Amino acid sequence: MHSNPRPRVRGLASVAAAAGISLLVAGCQATPGETSSTPVAGGTLTYASGDAEPTCLEPHVGGNYPQALIAGQFLESLVSRDADGTIIPWLATEWSVSEDNLSWDFTLKDDVTFTDGTPLNAEAVKVNVEHLKDPATESSTGYLALGKVESVEAVSETVARFTLSAPDSALLESLSQPWVAIQSPAGIARGMEENCQAPIGTGPFIVDEWVKQDHISLVRNDDYTSPPADAKHDGKAYLEAIEWRFLPDSASRYAALQGGQVDVIDNAQPDTIASAEKTETLTHLDAPRPGASNRIELNSGTAPFNDVAVREAFIRAVDVNDGIESLYFGSAERSYSPLSSVEATGYSDESLFDTDVDAANALLDSAGWTERDADGYRVKDGARLSLDFPVSTNQSIPAEQSLFEQIQATAKDAGFEVNISLLDLSSWYGVLAENNYDLVSAPYTKVGPDVLRILYHSDGITPAPSGYFANLSQVNNPELDGLLTAASEISDADARADLYEQAQQIILEGFHILPLYDQQNHFLLGTQVKDARALPTVSTPTFYDTWLSGN
Amino acid sequence: MTPGSAVTRPAQRSRNLRTSRWLLVRLGGAVFVMWAVATLTFFAIRLIPGDPAEAVLGGPGSQASQETLDQVRADYGLDLPLGVQYLNALGRLLSGDLGTSYALKVPVAELLLAQIGGTLVLALAALALAWLLALLLSLWSTGGGRIAAALGQGIELTSAALPHFWLATVLIAVFSSALGWLPPVSTGGAAGLVLPTLTLAIPLAGFLAQVMRETLLDTLDAPFIISARARGESERGIRLRHALRHASLPAISLSGWALGYLISGAVVVETIFARPGLGRTLLQAVTLRDVPIVTGVVLLVALVYILMTIITDAASRLADPRLRSAETGR
Amino acid sequence: MSELDLRTAAASAAPARRSRPSVGEILALGFVLFLLVATVAPGILTAIDPNAINAREAFQGPSLEHWFGTDESGRDIYSRVIAGTSTSLLIGVTATAIGLALGLALGVLAGFGGRVLDFSVNRTIEVLFAFPGLLLALLVIVIAGPGPVTATIAVGLSTAPGYARIIRGQLVGIRTSAYVESARVLGHPPWRILTRHILPNGLAPLVVLATLGIGQAVVWAAALSYLGLGAQPPSAEWGAMLSAGRTYIGTAWWLTVFPGLMIVLTTIATTVLGRRLSRRTGGQR
Repeated sequence: MHSNPRPRVRGLASVAAAAGISLLVAGCQATPGETSSTPVAGGTLTYASGDAEPTCLEPHVGGNYPQALIAGQFLESLVSRDADGTIIPWLATEWSVSEDNLSWDFTLKDDVTFTDGTPLNAEAVKVNVEHLKDPATESSTGYLALGKVESVEAVSETVARFTLSAPDSALLESLSQPWVAIQSPAGIARGMEENCQAPIGTGPFIVDEWVKQDHISLVRNDDYTSPPADAKHDGKAYLEAIEWRFLPDSASRYAALQGGQVDVIDNAQPDTIASAEKTETLTHLDAPRPGASNRIELNSGTAPFNDVAVREAFIRAVDVNDGIESLYFGSAERSYSPLSSVEATGYSDESLFDTDVDAANALLDSAGWTERDADGYRVKDGARLSLDFPVSTNQSIPAEQSLFEQIQATAKDAGFEVNISLLDLSSWYGVLAENNYDLVSAPYTKVGPDVLRILYHSDGITPAPSGYFANLSQVNNPELDGLLTAASEISDADARADLYEQAQQIILEGFHILPLYDQQNHFLLGTQVKDARALPTVSTPTFYDTWLSGN
Repeated sequence: MTPGSAVTRPAQRSRNLRTSRWLLVRLGGAVFVMWAVATLTFFAIRLIPGDPAEAVLGGPGSQASQETLDQVRADYGLDLPLGVQYLNALGRLLSGDLGTSYALKVPVAELLLAQIGGTLVLALAALALAWLLALLLSLWSTGGGRIAAALGQGIELTSAALPHFWLATVLIAVFSSALGWLPPVSTGGAAGLVLPTLTLAIPLAGFLAQVMRETLLDTLDAPFIISARARGESERGIRLRHALRHASLPAISLSGWALGYLISGAVVVETIFARPGLGRTLLQAVTLRDVPIVTGVVLLVALVYILMTIITDAASRLADPRLRSAETGR
Repeated sequence: MSELDLRTAAASAAPARRSRPSVGEILALGFVLFLLVATVAPGILTAIDPNAINAREAFQGPSLEHWFGTDESGRDIYSRVIAGTSTSLLIGVTATAIGLALGLALGVLAGFGGRVLDFSVNRTIEVLFAFPGLLLALLVIVIAGPGPVTATIAVGLSTAPGYARIIRGQLVGIRTSAYVESARVLGHPPWRILTRHILPNGLAPLVVLATLGIGQAVVWAAALSYLGLGAQPPSAEWGAMLSAGRTYIGTAWWLTVFPGLMIVLTTIATTVLGRRLSRRTGGQR
């Protein structure tokens, strides 16, 4: 807990904060102002997370966003990504790839040790990859990310050679993710139960204690030597400790930030972002997640959306811009792309998404949905034009749920009946696995455009043993498959970008998705928190450069 | 040895016998109820759609491979026939082992032991505060004239009708956001306990005050009060010394119910105020389909409830000898 | 003991002190009538479509045009509160009916089924009691999936043991009462004693129980909606409105305050009427 009582208004610091937002997005450079620009060491930062408390702190196990959020404080990856999307060195200083693109050599920093004293070497990398691929690890996200990695061998103490089954243009992006971060082999050897409690990494902080349902205490790693290439300073972190708390209720989380009980909150709700921006004691860090944009997928695998005219009619019928503006208070910008705005390869086509109810009605008439029933819904062969829309209350914030309700209302004008059902995560996945949906919004975070292959390649329609499948719009287009496969194997960056652009064109022009906005990822910080930024990999916050003013 | 004691001894022995028989029956009943709760929960949870192996693998939507799923099923004995799983679970229960959490991979008993403290502190604080508020309210509404009586009833009814989550929201909005007096989340200190305790205590106090006021009114008409008045004791003294004691008697018998009510409320309150405790653990386990934790919490709550009922019943028997003879007739 | 035990205890402990209705009771009756009108003919009370969305008019405070303000989608909160009355009451009434029906079945079994049945029903009730309200409801919902129907059933189930215990107590009391004894002495067959004497006397208090239970069922259903397990959009159910509006408590209080007020007032009004009724039936017996 940050112990100083905090004055509610700060002069210089708040002016700095007002200017800080865009800077924070860009990776948070020095805060302007004379007195408050020199970092001060010391203090404890209290972070309040609205995400679910992880069940295991080791991100190899399972692999979800709450794990990534905290793992970034104590685990590090081989490579990172800078604000421009370029892959930069982290634990690996350099890498090279063979002619056939099937063999990658990563050279590691030679002076890094894990916080248990184990040295970071090629053998450790090999152990980590084998750990990820071992079914007993129960890895899901990391396992998928390394799908093409066949084996790793330690060529020397500092060089690890990855052997692939097929060329993988996304390998570096995959390796930058926290779900494949490198842990101490000795830590892994302790077994899952112990390693879940306190994984051992090379990061600027160390897991000290995990009091379930309450907080995780992180203390500074005083021997830290391995910041990513875009960090602002060397050596150990400024903060002495981080207290990581779980405050699931968004209203009390914001109240706690206002009251000074916590320094940083995540999952800030749009209305609180708007009111925080009006105060002088809070700053806003907007860090959209990479990978896919937040979009509604139209299930083209079953009727009525197996008819492209009906899909286009739906997209033309619904009006989302007004809703996004009023529900998000200007904190979310409308997207017209399958990819997040942080992905340089993203392609947008706004013209496909103009609201035009007349056009929608004409399309539906031509598709044979000519009659309307007593409730005003269109009917064809006795069946109502009805769409099932399962919504996960864990993944859609209240504003988004309200937006879906507005979509429900505007779609009705064109004669669509939209049945929204709010479900908890387990039930929601159950409905998807049974293919009982026409519309769905499913966020997918991954570094790089290769997320398109996961989401829209026809392979993604085949369910995993658990029933899960990623291609929820059920696009099954051989041309698209070809483009995505080629893009995942090509090594030339420009050619790769071109292939992804063609792929996105097919997805957008086939009216398979209704893009809404980036995956929202907003943090609010007290102005005493300086130089906090989100890592440009999966946009998790990092507090290595962070310091507390007025301590 | 006096002649008198020779007469009372068999009577006392039979009373002791009766008491131990009563206790034995109650404890036997408790064991039965625990078994039934365990069995019911075990099979009810098997009705939950979805594969428990997924709960182990970081929750639903897992993209785990078939090998991984098989591995997990074998590890947790999920591939065994249901009957065998049930017997295994019962056998473990008998030795005090509640199993290992699917999601958190730690022994459930250990986890719940760490969580029950928070819930009990909250529940007991709320219980105590509710009794205090109810007492004050009923004393005031019965002794302050017609207006106080009407107002008091209004306050009772209103507070009993307040949904926890709404009350919590309003308390946070007023005392944390607007006034800044109290923290909206648990801080480990006493200040963090105030709002959650109030949230749980106010509606409960409404219920209790209704009962207390009626008992108090009845007691004030009782003969011993009239004679106390005749002796010239002050009205205030009468209320505090005599009436209150009688009006508080239902306290003992209601506490078991109140504790159950408070634990229900704790699910919501612990989530809003981010307090560690059983309620929040349960809610999280339910969304993650973490069967061992759900079972563990249900059993633990049932145990607390049953023990509380036995204790309050025993206390009532001690306080009121009539109950002892009445009980045996049942 | 359940909340209902407490309420009836409070209600029956009160002697019939007054026979004329108090101001509070008249107000309560008035409010219940208002709720009935809102259920049967909401059109009389408002002309605005409760589901009409207007994103440009979101988050407007109470005004002459929108008495209770507008919500996050620009819908009129007053008309939604009115429209939500039928859904909310339906959940409350159905849940209470389910709880009462189960409670009645268990209570009759225990009260008339002889020692063995009485014993086993009592144990069943004890087992059900060991799952405090929300726990049982949560279990039911997890098994059957969330939604208004499951929420209703869950609330009904979790109130059943409370009703069962009260009903059993009442029936046992009547069975051993003087007039049933005399009927037995007169040689009336058991079924006739049951239908002629016991049930009519035992059922009268059920009306009271039901009135008292409805308000509490509405509150429970609202709690389930808060946990995201209740009514579905765009339904204007009060609990769902309340939990949707909670997010905006700091910026737009009217989203939570008005539906919350409806829940509280409904509970108060039904309780006041229930207590009035119970005093009357108590006096008649």
